Amino acid sequence: MKPILLIGWKDLQVTFRDRAALLFMLLAPFLLTLGLALVSGQFSEAGRIEQIPVAIANQDDGQLGQALVKLFQDSTLADLVSPTVVADPEAARRLVDQDQAAAAVIVPAGFTASIVPDDGAAPPAETVAITLVTNPARPIGAGIVRAIVEEYLSRVETGRVGGEVIVRQLVETGRLMPQHIRAAAPAIGSRAVVAAVAEPALRLRAATAASGPADFNPMAVMAPGMALLFLMFTVANGGRSLLAERAQGTLPRLLVAPVTAGQVLVGKLLGTYLAGVAQMLILVVGSALLFGLRWGDPLGVLVLILAAVFAALGWGMLLTALARTPGQVTVGGAALMLIFGLLGGSFVQFGLMPGWWQALSHLTPNAWGLDGFTVLSLGGTLADLGRPLLGLVVMGLALGAVSLLLFSRRSPEKQL
Amino acid sequence: MKLLAIFWKDTLLRFSSRSELLFFLVLPMLFTLILAGGTNNQGMERLPVLVADQAQSPLSQQIVAELERSEAVRPVLVSLEQGEKDLKERQAAALLIIPPACDWETLQAGVVELELRQLPNDLNGQAAAQAVRAVLWRLGSAVTIAHQAVAAAEEARRFEAAAEREAYFDAALSSAQRLMAAAPSRLQVEPGAAAGSVPYDPAANSSAGQLITWVFIPLIGISALFAQERQAGTLRRLLVTPTPRGTFLLGTVVGNVFWALVQMALLVLFGVAVLKVRWADHPAALVTMLVSATLAAAALGVMLGAFVKTPAQANNLSIALGMVMALLGGCWYPIELFPEAVRTAVKVLPTTWAMQGMTDMLLRGQGLAGVLPEAVVLLGFASAFFAVGVWRFRHQ
Repeated sequence: MKPILLIGWKDLQVTFRDRAALLFMLLAPFLLTLGLALVSGQFSEAGRIEQIPVAIANQDDGQLGQALVKLFQDSTLADLVSPTVVADPEAARRLVDQDQAAAAVIVPAGFTASIVPDDGAAPPAETVAITLVTNPARPIGAGIVRAIVEEYLSRVETGRVGGEVIVRQLVETGRLMPQHIRAAAPAIGSRAVVAAVAEPALRLRAATAASGPADFNPMAVMAPGMALLFLMFTVANGGRSLLAERAQGTLPRLLVAPVTAGQVLVGKLLGTYLAGVAQMLILVVGSALLFGLRWGDPLGVLVLILAAVFAALGWGMLLTALARTPGQVTVGGAALMLIFGLLGGSFVQFGLMPGWWQALSHLTPNAWGLDGFTVLSLGGTLADLGRPLLGLVVMGLALGAVSLLLFSRRSPEKQL
Repeated sequence: MKLLAIFWKDTLLRFSSRSELLFFLVLPMLFTLILAGGTNNQGMERLPVLVADQAQSPLSQQIVAELERSEAVRPVLVSLEQGEKDLKERQAAALLIIPPACDWETLQAGVVELELRQLPNDLNGQAAAQAVRAVLWRLGSAVTIAHQAVAAAEEARRFEAAAEREAYFDAALSSAQRLMAAAPSRLQVEPGAAAGSVPYDPAANSSAGQLITWVFIPLIGISALFAQERQAGTLRRLLVTPTPRGTFLLGTVVGNVFWALVQMALLVLFGVAVLKVRWADHPAALVTMLVSATLAAAALGVMLGAFVKTPAQANNLSIALGMVMALLGGCWYPIELFPEAVRTAVKVLPTTWAMQGMTDMLLRGQGLAGVLPEAVVLLGFASAFFAVGVWRFRHQ
């Protein structure tokens, strides 16, 4: 047992003294997580995209055009949008074309009159529509501006329909004479406005599957995604060191010592396993301190890390068993890291992918690990990690068994 | 002749392993396709939303029917227990629970609240919530209108019986629903662009971003070539031959730039053929951007090559630096997502300018004149990096 522990400890020290490896094991995932934190608005006050520049050209002299301008200038949207009111549509378009605005809202002349005809006049046959010019290089900001305008328009539509229904019903039931419609307009108008601004009678209460409000924190997926991505590098690096020792001749020297080949192999695997666990723990603690990320039940996190590194080690062993040179392990490890990252949800969220993709993704430790970390971030505990833990342990055992079989089929001098 | 020999030597070294093709073409194409939404089921397939209908009333059935008509979601009727189990096992992103009291009578009297349980950190759950809200708004606002119509009627003349009031409400509701359904679209959306209409295309963003990522990484990896030659002692041997240092440097850079341009050309062809990205609209601008971005990345590789000590250090640094620079340069996600200060700070990265030029071309329809500022900045980066690299190389 002692030789195994000594070899494992030696390999762990070698790994953490290798500045080139540390760069990849720790610095790269931290920097990428930091970048993703910035993208997801983790460091902004509102936790989202802010101060979207929007140009508004209002050519409508009625109340609806002005109301839309006021809406964009309202203090409730002050954090989200930064409106610039310009005189004409061309100026608004120019701001979008020059990438000075995410979108331009152009309210044409006659917009109000097309919805609320003056003095009971018939509404025009043609619909007068607001034009939204979107900046293709700022799709998110343009999408948010569009959502604001759409919600405003749906409320306007509710008001219009409300007014029409109220009047029609009153007239049809003889409660209002057609000649008195104009006199009743203010009262009816205020009721239509109530209909437009009121909370709908059918309401939706959104909650997370566990409890509490549905709060979307993309970091809970991004940080573990990056940690699991770079875990594959660490296990491949461990395999590379095994073959490098053979290539450099240090392995035969080790074997003349009173240790068996099995002890050397297990010791090297232990070293890689400890390096992987240490890497994951540093990333978990670091991201908790740096980004304030709550990973969940500490015991669950620890056990999940142990299982995820075990499964990743299985892939590292298989790669080492199949490779002939350290270079092959390096290249194969980098490829596996990126493919598993893509497949396992480190770059793209599972939920956006079709069912077959989600099934295939569970060939990777990344997918099982992310499942587990999501359960924990939901408030789950070790007891809720049954499926991910089982998946990871079975994966590690199966890959380990296949790898040992492949190792044993090699000629005795090449077994390690 | 010597340049050609060095170029050929580097080419043989690089492509000696078939696995290089994996990084040269296969992975870049795979990442481009996936990140462009090539297998994204949104739009092609509606998101399933579990619905536990505990009311089984005409109103709840109307809600389900409205959800069936939604373009975004597809209701799947389940019992509450089954729905909770499926959600816990992450078999679905959202569960809509319609309470037993969800009927027209309760709605006429006040408010009905439905519950949507969704998986956190799941975009499908967010999308489902948005779609369900839109359906409930449509149905709910008609009810609000009917309430206001009844109130207005009562102000004019009180109803003689509850049945009359109810009939009035029903007529107003039906009228409101009909008018809401027939409402015209009052929003016209058009993409802004300096020249022609180029709608936002995630495939274009992905194609440009991945192209930059996957070409920058191996070009920064030129540093590994220097480190390898230095470590193996072959650099000294090369330099004792009658080969000037400049020739060696130039041969190494030219060879890698050549293969980077070949890789870019293949990825551009892939973008045009598979993703229908409009790379070919402005050929002069395209060539200018590709060449200037390639030179900037290659020069960065030369500069790093003069500082790093081992090939492993260089390899790890090139992948880590390439990925981080790509992310911060807006190659993975639109740069507008960054806070203002970060958007300004990342202008020190060549990837930011490369991506800016590519998106100007692909999304904003700009030609050579439009991308010249970005190309000039990239060539400035190339000159600066190359100068530092050569200076350092001379003093080694």
